[in-house]
Amino acid sequence: MNTTRRWVLSLMGRGAVALAFLIQIGAAARAFLPNVLYEPLKRFKLKRPDQYAEGFTFDPDHRLFVVRNQDNFHAISAVCTHLGCTVQWRETQFACPCHGSRFRPDGIVIGGPAPRPLPWYDVSLSPDGFIEVDTETQVERGFNFTLPKAKA
Amino acid sequence: MTMRERLSALWRTLAWSWDPRGEREAGEAIVRNLWLHWFPAKVARVSASWSYSAWLGAIAAILFLILNVTGLLLMFFYVPSTEKAYGSMKDLDYAVTLGWLLRNQHRWAAHGMVAVAFLHMARVFFTGAYRGPRALNWLVGLALLLTTLLCSFTGYLLPWDQLALWAVTVGTNIAREAPLAGEFIRYVLLGGTQIGQNALLRFYVLHVFFIPLAIWALFAYHMWRVRKDGGLAAIEPLRLNRQMQPKQMPATKSYSLWGLARGTSAAVRSSTELEESDQVFASPSVTRRLVLVVLVVLNVTILISVFFNAPLEEAANPALTPNPAKAPWYFLWLQELVASTTIPIGSIRISGGLIGGIIVPGVLLAAAALWPWLDRSSPAAEGVWFARERRWQNATFATVLVLIVALIMIGIFVRGPYWRLYWPGTPWPPTPRTL
Repeated sequence: MNTTRRWVLSLMGRGAVALAFLIQIGAAARAFLPNVLYEPLKRFKLKRPDQYAEGFTFDPDHRLFVVRNQDNFHAISAVCTHLGCTVQWRETQFACPCHGSRFRPDGIVIGGPAPRPLPWYDVSLSPDGFIEVDTETQVERGFNFTLPKAKA
Repeated sequence: MTMRERLSALWRTLAWSWDPRGEREAGEAIVRNLWLHWFPAKVARVSASWSYSAWLGAIAAILFLILNVTGLLLMFFYVPSTEKAYGSMKDLDYAVTLGWLLRNQHRWAAHGMVAVAFLHMARVFFTGAYRGPRALNWLVGLALLLTTLLCSFTGYLLPWDQLALWAVTVGTNIAREAPLAGEFIRYVLLGGTQIGQNALLRFYVLHVFFIPLAIWALFAYHMWRVRKDGGLAAIEPLRLNRQMQPKQMPATKSYSLWGLARGTSAAVRSSTELEESDQVFASPSVTRRLVLVVLVVLNVTILISVFFNAPLEEAANPALTPNPAKAPWYFLWLQELVASTTIPIGSIRISGGLIGGIIVPGVLLAAAALWPWLDRSSPAAEGVWFARERRWQNATFATVLVLIVALIMIGIFVRGPYWRLYWPGTPWPPTPRTL
């Protein structure tokens, strides 16, 4: 290759143009990754424990089921692990209206295209006595939050 | 000069030179006209025929034009906000005089454009019109099909009804299944991790500006390529059969000296290489048909819009997925695929979202894109409907087409609550309306 002065200068010129465009595009694109999200909190308070009936209670605002078994509580996601539709509780199982996934009461897939079980979320009692769910903390199936004796 | 002649002369100066009084004027009617100059002055008679192309590409383009006009008008009435979008739909339907007509026309023209684009693609395949230099235009056509589908998808999200909400939910979750970058793609599409105002605004701007812009650019290139390729592939059998005598080369170096041609001489020839008898003037042979097609397409969309209302479901409700939740017909085959292609491999299950939502359509698209280079048939099979030599290719394409249509039919007529199969006529069990 004959590295003439003209070749170097021309390369620098083209490089400068390309770089200017790349930086401009990068700068514009970066704005599309939000730094602040005004989204609902991942950890929230629900109702008081005594407001829940035995069995499965759907929470429409947070798309999950609160399951009560006397003093034991757990929370299970109502968002289908396939493509995100809201599953419905049908006496013995969860069923999804979009693509027909079905889950056992503990979230294990028993039919349809769902690839993973419905996740369980961490449940606790807030200091002022409300059921509190943290959807950022997934817990093992079989997790149980038992109400402290004094409160129950 | 009378006033009428003056006005006519003025109009000709400004834009139009219409009724030709000779061959030269017939040519100029096209070449010197602002709107028509992208047509050639003369076209092959077979290119303009109804039976060869059915004018499907033109119909798709006209529908796109209708979509542009009605869409721009709808922008005056639509607010891209999660709180107001659904209200704007109701206003258009009940409070704006003839607002329903605009909305219906926009929706039905969109459905029509998807359908006609599919049919146009099928026509090009069955006539073997994607070969040789036209392979590039086949690829442009595929890009146009994709952008058309994207525009439809982003379009039916805007009413922010149940269809919209669950389409974004499912659509962006399919994007999330993409290997490695999936989570990032979804984050960028939604402008966050959950579906909300950011997502609606992004899809809105894509729908009203960027995707139509892409379609316009691709459309312009598509048309330009048709001309550069010498017209529709229907002319290829003519070229083949005519065995034209090569024209005498002019013995001059002028062209190469002027820099107009390489070598020592250039042959000036008709761009279509056709006999005079095979060609007709674009004006009026093409223009008259074009006006007729515009008239028919416009009237059909208006008629359909008068008798059938564009679908609008209940307002978006994240807590309650409609049961069953069905995509518009042109995505129903994909819905069937994502619902039935989850594959267990050992202890892990590969989601149907990845297989049916990304891999299968990707493979189909790749096969279509590579087809011109896989097709080894002879030139005699080019530009002919159902050439015997290409019967296996046509059978393959037809099979895929039939499978897609069959899946769509299952989705429309046989799927019931919880996506179970119910024969048409069998009653659906009652399902909870609220939870």
